[in-house]
Amino acid sequence: MGTIDKSKHAVLLEHVYYGQGCTNVLKDVSLAIPHGQWVCIAGRNGAGKSTLIRLLNGLLLMSRGRILIDGLEQSGRTLGDIRRHIGMVFANPDDQFVGLTVEDDIAFGLENLCLSREEMQHRIQTYAERLDIVHLLNRHPATLSGGQKQRSAIAAVLAMEPSILVLDEAASMLDEKAKNELLDSMRAMHADGRYTLISITHDVEEMAEADRLIVLDGGMVTADGSPRELLLREDLLQRCRLKAPFALQLCRELKERGIDIGELVREKEVQEALWLYHSKRYLTATGTGG
Amino acid sequence: MVISFEEVSYRYRDRGMTPILGLDGLNLELEEGRMIAVLGAPGSGKSTMLQHMNGLMRADEGLVRILDFNLESGDSRKIPPKLRQRVGLVFQYPEQQLFEDTVEKDLLFGPLNFGWSEAEAAEAVRRAAFFVGLDEALLAQSPFKLSSGQMRKAAVAAVLAADPDILALDEPTASLDPASREDLMQRLHGLTKAEGKTVIVVTHRLEELVSYADDFVVIKGGRVIFQGTARELVHKQEVLEEAGLMAPSSVRIAGTLAAQLGIETPEMLPDAAALAAWYAGLLESQS
Repeated sequence: MGTIDKSKHAVLLEHVYYGQGCTNVLKDVSLAIPHGQWVCIAGRNGAGKSTLIRLLNGLLLMSRGRILIDGLEQSGRTLGDIRRHIGMVFANPDDQFVGLTVEDDIAFGLENLCLSREEMQHRIQTYAERLDIVHLLNRHPATLSGGQKQRSAIAAVLAMEPSILVLDEAASMLDEKAKNELLDSMRAMHADGRYTLISITHDVEEMAEADRLIVLDGGMVTADGSPRELLLREDLLQRCRLKAPFALQLCRELKERGIDIGELVREKEVQEALWLYHSKRYLTATGTGG
Repeated sequence: MVISFEEVSYRYRDRGMTPILGLDGLNLELEEGRMIAVLGAPGSGKSTMLQHMNGLMRADEGLVRILDFNLESGDSRKIPPKLRQRVGLVFQYPEQQLFEDTVEKDLLFGPLNFGWSEAEAAEAVRRAAFFVGLDEALLAQSPFKLSSGQMRKAAVAAVLAADPDILALDEPTASLDPASREDLMQRLHGLTKAEGKTVIVVTHRLEELVSYADDFVVIKGGRVIFQGTARELVHKQEVLEEAGLMAPSSVRIAGTLAAQLGIETPEMLPDAAALAAWYAGLLESQS
């Protein structure tokens, strides 16, 4: 300890506590999240997930500990700066709209950054294209579908060019189609490499795609590691009240019936493994294979 | 029929110059003692329909029958007494429903208001809190200090405490963790079987209700475009599409496998065990 180059981490928490009176919502949380990582935060209702991410940009102020964002230590003086590094997207996009059109809404954040008119127009165009909402720029937010609203909210946040994007159950109010659109946007942002993604979610399918899974329980980190490994642990799933991903349930049901394709957590991987499985069998059975 | 809608139309007049159609000649009959899932894209009329069930909204045209109450359009807008006691509505946003300074007072409000004694009300509150899995220690707290998931449970408990015959819930599982979601669905399903209550759940997650709801109703443009069982619905791609739903994972995987093996997608219960059994049987028969 003490030798970590702090600028290397997007987020660094050291012994962070948060609580009111004698009840601690978060207890002694220490975390280091490197740049570009896609992190999911899981845990049962009331585990402290939303509290944790609200501490990052000072929406809530920690009671004790240290928080560094992109190497900047959080204090009254740095909070303004830190907020430019973190973009937040919440569950209900309606809570986040202020403008009369999607374009106004993106511009609102940019005006507060005191950018030139040209730069603002450039950014609106860039991020509208990236989130595929150019055709929606003149629409009133209330006329958009849930998925379109959430994409617009993300565009408005990204236009301010934060390095860290925090999503607090951003898909929980979306229908399944919109949820998939959002997941596509997250994959693209991750591939881009410029963003650190921190996502609170109850969706095991989303967790299976992330680089890292952090599990909170009773205000403490109880597990932290690769989702591919953590999602296999029944005890952990039970503790944070999750169900195994459908892909994994299927692998286990297949194994009981003598079909072993391993333990996979993503639907796509299972599809591929099953394709291999029956094509190999077919080749062996017909003697046309090697 | 415990609930019937006959040619019910409703227009929103308070949203701009032209009235927006909420319900458009909607017809629907629901039987008593069943769990019913109501699905549809945002703006399809799901919540509007729900709010007609306890007279919060009154039809412009048509007739709504709930239990032994007839709510006619153009009626004097008086709500029959007892209707609201027998039909409990849980709203989409719990923060709009809860208002007292402690969770306990919020849960007591309904029972006391309907004239129960304090002892009866307290017992009903204890039962309702247990039913939804709300920690009793939270009863003394302000509902607005709870996490979003706990707040959701409190809102459901507040309605359940008054022991309604019909329980209608608008997106009750958003922000609940998956085990709490499944737990709630299981318990609600139990209410229909053990106590003969009718439970109506508006949702946008087909998978969480597939194993619990008896009937599925899909709404689009203020009309019912599908009513039937889960088995029927999961294979109706165009209906799912209209409602912003995706076929459950099992149906998607079965579809891909069937295409690869050059056979028709079979009808099956949408769970992992059924899919695995089908696939194993298929390989067996081909060897």
